[in-house]
Amino acid sequence: MSLKRFVLVLLSLALILSFGAVTLAQDTTLTMLTHWGTEDQLAAQQAIIDAYMAEHPDVAIELVTVDFGELRTKIITGRTAGISADVYHFYHLWLPDFVNAGVLAEPPQDSLTYIDDNVAQGTIDAVSTPDGQTWGYPTEVNPYLLVYNKRLLAEAGYDAPPANWDELKEIAAAITQVDDTGAISQVGLGVMPGWDSGIVHPFSALLFSNGGNYLSEDRTVAEFNSAQGIETLQLYADLVASGGTDPSINGLGDFPSGTVGMVIMAPWWRATLRAAEGVDFETEVGVAEIPVGPSGDAPSSIAYTWLFAVDSSSPNKPAAWDFIHWMNAEHDEGAGSAIGDFLVNALGAIPSFDHDQAAFAESMSDHYVSAFVAASAYARPEQIVAGGQEIKTLLQVEIEAVLAGMTTPEDALASVEMQANAILEEQRMMAEE
Amino acid sequence: MPSPAIKSSWWMPDIPKSAVLRRRMLWAYVFVAAPILALLVFLAGPILFSGWVSLHRWDMLSPVGDMPWRGLQNYIFLLTRDSIFIKALGNTFLFAIGGVGANTILGLGFALLLNSRIRGRAVWRVLYFMPVITAPLALAVMFSFIFDRNYGVVNSVITALGLPRQPFLSGPNQALMTLIFIAIYQYVGYYIVIFLAGLQGIPQDYYDAAQVDGAGNWQEFRFITLPLLRPVMLFVVVTNTIGALQVFDLVFATTGGAPANSSMTVVLHMYNTAFKFSRMGRASAMAFILFAIIMLITVMQVRLLRDRSYQD
Repeated sequence: MSLKRFVLVLLSLALILSFGAVTLAQDTTLTMLTHWGTEDQLAAQQAIIDAYMAEHPDVAIELVTVDFGELRTKIITGRTAGISADVYHFYHLWLPDFVNAGVLAEPPQDSLTYIDDNVAQGTIDAVSTPDGQTWGYPTEVNPYLLVYNKRLLAEAGYDAPPANWDELKEIAAAITQVDDTGAISQVGLGVMPGWDSGIVHPFSALLFSNGGNYLSEDRTVAEFNSAQGIETLQLYADLVASGGTDPSINGLGDFPSGTVGMVIMAPWWRATLRAAEGVDFETEVGVAEIPVGPSGDAPSSIAYTWLFAVDSSSPNKPAAWDFIHWMNAEHDEGAGSAIGDFLVNALGAIPSFDHDQAAFAESMSDHYVSAFVAASAYARPEQIVAGGQEIKTLLQVEIEAVLAGMTTPEDALASVEMQANAILEEQRMMAEE
Repeated sequence: MPSPAIKSSWWMPDIPKSAVLRRRMLWAYVFVAAPILALLVFLAGPILFSGWVSLHRWDMLSPVGDMPWRGLQNYIFLLTRDSIFIKALGNTFLFAIGGVGANTILGLGFALLLNSRIRGRAVWRVLYFMPVITAPLALAVMFSFIFDRNYGVVNSVITALGLPRQPFLSGPNQALMTLIFIAIYQYVGYYIVIFLAGLQGIPQDYYDAAQVDGAGNWQEFRFITLPLLRPVMLFVVVTNTIGALQVFDLVFATTGGAPANSSMTVVLHMYNTAFKFSRMGRASAMAFILFAIIMLITVMQVRLLRDRSYQD
């Protein structure tokens, strides 16, 4: 055997042995799929994973992240291709669809007991099906509030945010600035076209603050096409007519640049606002309750939730649940959980678990997140239902049509109601099949 | 001398007696079988499966065996009740008509110019072709800025000329037209190259003879260039139409079908239906309807343009 061949064989053997060693040392490999993909968020998640693997040398964990817009597609295509992740972190609106399709594994009893003992009932309901089955560990709770730019309000002559819709319209119109050529350099209320949650969640927050409902309590019929719903959509039409809002200015992108007066948004925006160059987070960003509509009697809001769950086809379900539990459990009293730390400090979101809310109370006490914490006490959980994503997208399109002046609030809501009820009826029939 | 056949039928070819030839024949079939197998697995299989799925309600999550049968319901729903699909079909046709018409006329026009003796011909060719090799998503993002209602450079020029500011991509009446413009910018260079190749394939003798007969430029174009370019025209029109009817990336990256579906196209609606709403059956039905439309239009185009070329 020549020297070259001998070295090659030796190297091959070394490679095989090293793979074998890794395989022997880590006989369980888990894949976790999330949508937290910024550099900071990736580093924070990897730190959690590394800490778990240090404690559990027999388990290897691979982190996969995709953009939120692709998360549902990734889960679906992964399942179809037979390469699904073991652990998912996903938006709770998709829960009924995933449960109906048998995507999710039921949590072990220990986990259910732990969740029951440490999470508020409203949040547990948000990650449970109507039969009372809880499907995972709830993570971030995101109520919506009115985020405003104090400087722009002051420049327009207002020292307080709007408390009702008349004030909202007045202040929004006063903030908007249009130059001689028709270019909008500053807008009062920023909307977020092209993003279903960015359109439908603020609409729902205003609808609830106007005494309206999204779906019936038993979630069998759409209820947004009501007098309160039409008033809510008319508010959008009025804001466009008065120049208080304009769909060509995107609240999500333009508020941080200091050209938008108000946006109805969620707490996880804190990291973006802190890094924003057009607005000073500490002195210029204010948070207020959702302005009350003419048919409402108190501010209300909507809150959505995310959860960690395990794929039903995972060959490592016990290990996956153990990992999820480890991330969410408080290991040292008063220290909070790893995920709680991540949610609060890396994301600016409100954690679901009581121990995290207590442990990170200090971090959530800033002027921004504290307002959302207070709102989470009264915000109504987003109603989850099979086909909910489709209904939400249909509503988004019709709201955008009103913003673009293509239809009236009455026609828009009547159209979505008809389609939404057809979807709900179809889902009911499928469940019976 | 060829070996006599052992056996021959409509499905079994002549088998030579010679062992060497038989071995060669076997290998030939092995090599032919590989691409056929790939076609069956990666093309015919998915098409047939998609056709089967279009007759069911399937969310892509449940086992294939559990798909509830829906018959033609998906097709009937799309053609009678899905207002977004009808809207998307109309938009897609407009996109195809505008894009194919402009690309054909502009492609031929610029090709004629570049085929003449103009200065810096090679540079012009490169410039026209550059958008073709630019990533479509990069172009889409770039044009989103260029056509922005408030900060876009196009609106700066328009307003400097004293004209009113336009919403372009954010306007329900302008979004689709703006997308057609971007698509023309993106692909006209490709069709210029195709037409240019066609023009350079026309023998100079024809033009020389025509000039001897006293033909002018228009007559040369009308009676020599255009008829001899007809096969190229057929290729341009057919491929451009097929591509335009399947437009996805440009719309996905710029408007996403907004505002209020005014720029929604069939393939984008198909994507949303499949992956956002988990309605794979309905999305598959859309694919088959689009396939039928493309097939019909292509056959019409081929008959219209090919027959004339034969006559000429």
